[in-house]
Amino acid sequence: MESSPNIDGATVPAPLAAPVLYRPEPAERPRINRAEMLRYLGYTGQDVNEELSARIERIAAELERSVSPRGVRRVFPVDARARDAAGEPCIRLAGTTVELVGRDAFRHLKDASYCAMLACTLGMESERRLRTLGGQNPLDATILDAACSAYVEAAVGAMDSAVKRAASDLGLASNWRFSCGYGDCPLDAQDAIVAALDATRLIGLTVTPSHLLLPSKSVTALIGLFEGDAHAADMRPTCATCRMRSTCAFRARGTTCYAQG
Amino acid sequence: MRKAEDTEVSISGRHPSWDNSIRPPFHPSHKGPPMTAFTPRTPDTLRIADDDLRAALEGRRHLLFDGGMGTMLQAAGLEAGALPELLNLSEPDAITAVHAAYVAVGSEVVTTNTFGANAHKLGDAATVEEVFDAAVRCARASGARYVAGDIGPLGALMRPMGTLSFDEAYDLFAQQVRAAATAGVDLFVIETMTDLAEIRAAVLAAKENSDLPIFATMTFEEDGRTFLGTSPEVAAITLDALGADVVGINCSLGPAELRPLAARMLAVTEKPVMVQANAGLPHVEDGRTVYDIDPTAYAAAVRGMVDDGVGIIGGCCGTNPDYIRLLADIVRNRTPQQRSVEPAFTVTSAQRAVVLPCSEQRIAVIGERINPTGKKRLQAALRAGDLDYVVGQGISQQEQGADILDVNVGMPELDEVALLPRMCEQLQASTVLPLQIDSTDPAAIEAAVRRYAGRAIINSVNGKRESLDAILPIAAHYGANVIGLTLDEDGIPETAEARVAIARRIVNEAARYGIGPERILIDCLVMTASTNQQQALGILRAVSACREHLGVKCALGVSNISFGLPARELMNATFLAAAFGAGLDAPIMNPGSARYMDVVHSFRVLNAEDEGSAAYIERYAGWGDPYKVPIAGGDAAATAAAGTGGGAPALDEGGDPIRRLILSGRKGEMKAATEQLLATTDPLELINSRFIPALDEVGVLFDQGTYFLPQLMASAEAARVGFDTIRAHMPAGSIAGKGPICLATVKGDIHDIGKNIVKMLLDNYGYTVFDLGRDVDPQEILDTVRARGVRLVGLSALMTTTVKSMEETIALLHAEAPDVKVLVGGAVLTPEYAARIGADFYAKDAAEAARIAEEVFEA
Repeated sequence: MESSPNIDGATVPAPLAAPVLYRPEPAERPRINRAEMLRYLGYTGQDVNEELSARIERIAAELERSVSPRGVRRVFPVDARARDAAGEPCIRLAGTTVELVGRDAFRHLKDASYCAMLACTLGMESERRLRTLGGQNPLDATILDAACSAYVEAAVGAMDSAVKRAASDLGLASNWRFSCGYGDCPLDAQDAIVAALDATRLIGLTVTPSHLLLPSKSVTALIGLFEGDAHAADMRPTCATCRMRSTCAFRARGTTCYAQG
Repeated sequence: MRKAEDTEVSISGRHPSWDNSIRPPFHPSHKGPPMTAFTPRTPDTLRIADDDLRAALEGRRHLLFDGGMGTMLQAAGLEAGALPELLNLSEPDAITAVHAAYVAVGSEVVTTNTFGANAHKLGDAATVEEVFDAAVRCARASGARYVAGDIGPLGALMRPMGTLSFDEAYDLFAQQVRAAATAGVDLFVIETMTDLAEIRAAVLAAKENSDLPIFATMTFEEDGRTFLGTSPEVAAITLDALGADVVGINCSLGPAELRPLAARMLAVTEKPVMVQANAGLPHVEDGRTVYDIDPTAYAAAVRGMVDDGVGIIGGCCGTNPDYIRLLADIVRNRTPQQRSVEPAFTVTSAQRAVVLPCSEQRIAVIGERINPTGKKRLQAALRAGDLDYVVGQGISQQEQGADILDVNVGMPELDEVALLPRMCEQLQASTVLPLQIDSTDPAAIEAAVRRYAGRAIINSVNGKRESLDAILPIAAHYGANVIGLTLDEDGIPETAEARVAIARRIVNEAARYGIGPERILIDCLVMTASTNQQQALGILRAVSACREHLGVKCALGVSNISFGLPARELMNATFLAAAFGAGLDAPIMNPGSARYMDVVHSFRVLNAEDEGSAAYIERYAGWGDPYKVPIAGGDAAATAAAGTGGGAPALDEGGDPIRRLILSGRKGEMKAATEQLLATTDPLELINSRFIPALDEVGVLFDQGTYFLPQLMASAEAARVGFDTIRAHMPAGSIAGKGPICLATVKGDIHDIGKNIVKMLLDNYGYTVFDLGRDVDPQEILDTVRARGVRLVGLSALMTTTVKSMEETIALLHAEAPDVKVLVGGAVLTPEYAARIGADFYAKDAAEAARIAEEVFEA
């Protein structure tokens, strides 16, 4: 078999070469950002009575107590000289079958030496609860849905910080988290990302035939790691690359789906 | 000639309703009259390569597998995420070299490089048959003594959480099984499974499409459960019952961590237990990839497991020939210790095992509420296809303390063969209790038991020849338990002795199918004390006699005893206590009766099940004895739940209480307030002049941004309590629904939160909503439109990619049901986009959807 860049560290610095699992102990679990969770529920400062506030808090706290996020991350070399089937420039991650087509992924990773790929999920128990409540108690289900979204976001944020620290220890700069579905990056790449991370086996993450992640409260993300200055490191994911911008309910309310400032 | 064909009863031949496209029958020659002999699956019915393999299957000899394949291939440069199975075709020598390296260090069994060789994963890259053919040739070329055909997970999640059906999964596995058998494997190893439903489909496919031994292992995490929540006990019990010849554990953790999990399997199955542990995770050390657990430490931990009774060993991810060489030393010149497991009645769901040891009495409460007989609301829900209501009945019984749920959906106008498995699937998504599948139709029973993710109880067989011949083969084939009713062609006998005689016949007949008494619950059939007073204690004598002389456990439908008498719960509770004293194991009862559950909890103390009375003390230490303490009425509870009000609109306490409660979203007081008004106000007047205007006002407040979504929904919840109260006061059917609406999340999409919110509001406005769920096929929507006379269909799609499927659904509906209007919503849609895909209406949120519905139905 021909040899290609692999875990033996042909190109990825050894401390970053191995897959790293994220399995926080109960005390180390991330905390759900309540403001973010309320934002997902469409909150813009309404006067909420105590009964409803207590209900929202109870659901968030119970989720933090009973569900532990799991994740896996791994760093691969970036190949930005590749061409996709249509002959357009695309990003390949060496040593994997991942190919990211479209301008936005290209812009995100073209100057990066490596890409840290992350997958994180709240697991099947969260899916089961969402399903159960959806048929039994739609309000609790809606609140739990928002709580889960904020929770998985917090978990992937923790993974993001950890990989950035590890990269920074090696003198590498990082940019922000990019995911399939942002801008013109199609969802199809989820299958290869999940496979390359061995995420089905390691964290129980699967992909549906329509390329959606299951459990649904899961995230995959790609962070560019740069020798020297990070390209677009100061950029945040903004509405500019979001395909929902024309219909976004957050924007209609004068807010965004992500925290500002 | 395959031996098993001569000896197994042909199940498929017995039920002409059986769809052969679902399960290609393994017994093609047995379309004729049913055979009377039945040989359970044993080494004698299997095609076993040689005596040593047979000895391993009988637990008399150790067997050594190989180690990781993926590890070796990735070390040689395989891309992460690539299909290693294709290498069997493109680089057969490299694959054979890996196998040979394992054979060289002592592996007796090598595992084909076919982990993901199913049609779903391979796609167009190669056929399943090509890959297995090449893989088996690679394995044989290594000179291995035995070749195991490897079958891994399909890579798609099964229903109810995922989208793949049991039958689809079965077909994919069956194709692999036939391909592997044709290519000449000696056995199957089904491994790295995390979903009990999926591994059941695989084991069944192997059992029905070949006569080779089946080794089945699942993968557990640090919490001792698979990703989908299955424990080692549940896995071992369920797979053993279904027909796996070896059960076990592989992957995920190191051998030291797997040892206690293997011990838990050893405690519940007499089948050989197999473990293939990981060597931990890789890291880079001095430029080399090494795994956390080195071969010496690995082998030491495996030795511990072999000491515990694990018979078959090998390695998984991270292991290589260095590890397997040391494992060979462990089992050389050693024979497995003989084990015996205490016989027990065991029933499982994917997440829970109920184990009743044969040597003692333990109580398992079987919840009886999912049965439409005499329950109008449940009948209506089943007729309308409202499975959420039925699931709610399951959830509440679980909360009330049931251990097992009986599931009966038998109504003359319903297709039970289709509905019963669907109902079981839905219940399994939302409850953790094992199910008792209850039907008078053997075809419905088989349809449900076959697809049930666990070891079920069949309710029921009886002493009639016809029943024995129809039900026992199903129980035997799927490893299910069975309830035996003490009635026969002559009806229910009057005496205890005659009941025991029928029970004995059932037990003897079951034995011929390999079903031991530990799998049988005899129900001695309670007659009402008001007409058969002399029989009451006789029934209990029969319970004692069945347990003592037949070695079975006993069930009883308790509440029949009080039929025709006043204070039925009192009578039932007394009889229940007496029945426990006589040895009753599994009362079939309503766990919603606190009175019955008080008897259960207190008897568990007397029975020494509740150790140290701990659970009893916790529950009853602060208990108010209802004979001594006046029971708090509904009013007291209602006022205690009062919130603080708030919200933007001024809500004068003196004004309309309905408006106030709906606007503040306080459901706690709604029932009392509605009841009070019902005393003086016409119900329709109440709905039209108070409820609907309040809901409209909430819709406006939501539109203005004065309310946010949870407030809108809390208001809907409060209104719902009021509507339910009104409905309960009215004769059935006297409030006409506004019209039928069908809702669905389109094919390919799994997001249903938005759709559920719309449903909640439409329900409140009085529409009859048929909610088809998520990932719904366009044809199913059309069928519902036709069957239910639907005039408005609401479709939801959250992803740009699934809007395509929305467009196809709309096109089908407009072509085939031109009168129906289609309303769409979802995050990625705009009014223009909606118009472009042919929708009649676009709703930006649930409140708007309700207004559009009004428009459609007023037109």
